[in-house]
Amino acid sequence: MKIRKITELSLLTGLALIIFVVELRFPDILPVPGGKLGLANIITVYAVYKYRACEVFLLVLARIILGTVFASNFSALIYSLSGALFCLAGMLLLKRIIPVRWLWLCSTIGAVLHNTGQIAAAIAVMQSFAVIYYYPFLVFCGCIAGAFTGICAQLVVNRIGRKGRSYNEKRLFYD
Amino acid sequence: MEITKGVVICLISVIVIFIASAVTSFIIMHSSDREDPKENNGTNYVEIVQDNKIVYIFDLNSESDRTFRIECPKGGWNDITIENSQIFISDSDCPDKTCVNMGKLRSEYAPIVCLPHKLVIRFSDRGDE
Repeated sequence: MKIRKITELSLLTGLALIIFVVELRFPDILPVPGGKLGLANIITVYAVYKYRACEVFLLVLARIILGTVFASNFSALIYSLSGALFCLAGMLLLKRIIPVRWLWLCSTIGAVLHNTGQIAAAIAVMQSFAVIYYYPFLVFCGCIAGAFTGICAQLVVNRIGRKGRSYNEKRLFYD
Repeated sequence: MEITKGVVICLISVIVIFIASAVTSFIIMHSSDREDPKENNGTNYVEIVQDNKIVYIFDLNSESDRTFRIECPKGGWNDITIENSQIFISDSDCPDKTCVNMGKLRSEYAPIVCLPHKLVIRFSDRGDE
């Protein structure tokens, strides 16, 4: 891995962590476990389209583990981890089908997969299906939140694509 | 700006998922409200499940207003309040307080869940014993 790439990835991780910590301060809008906007996923979606799979994986893993430390909410680690890995796997596959112009679509499906992973982890941990009644509600909110973060990421991609001098831009974005 | 077949499929599936989840959550949240707690033969059984084991089961209609604390074996607690034949979690030491924000137990399809303490409060149909 080139030093430049390491720097970019760690910068993105730091950015995602800042967004995550700021979002912690928001009041809970939804009375459902795991229901929140997930603004830090703007960085994840952006990285999915810009970097290779293993690089995005490292970024997301670092963001979640450090985010759990900052939020001091270790019981939530397994839910965010399983949700994020589901979401990441789905988005990395969808990246091959969905071009960058439709990035928000990829993000929306990723959000739904994130909720699926969370509920699956909750069922496994609680060994009861009590939480499954929240699944439709979570998916409904996940669609909206995913589309929103996707549009944000789309704006970022458009701006960097026009003005930025990032390397291999055309090849990575438009192949 | 051409639209590929894969995009169309994803777009349609997202729309279907969105509408389906909206309809399902609307049904779950609204159709099963127990507006009248007395309707169920005058009893209203609620069970409190911790770590997949039932720790309390009681009839809300015959309970007096009170607040009690359930300790989690791994540390932590939830304060549960019964008021006017309704039950809710009034306080908890977990960081997110999602269970407190869930409010009162209204529907049999939407239990109150506290994920960090593995606690579930829900309506029960086996209060006979």
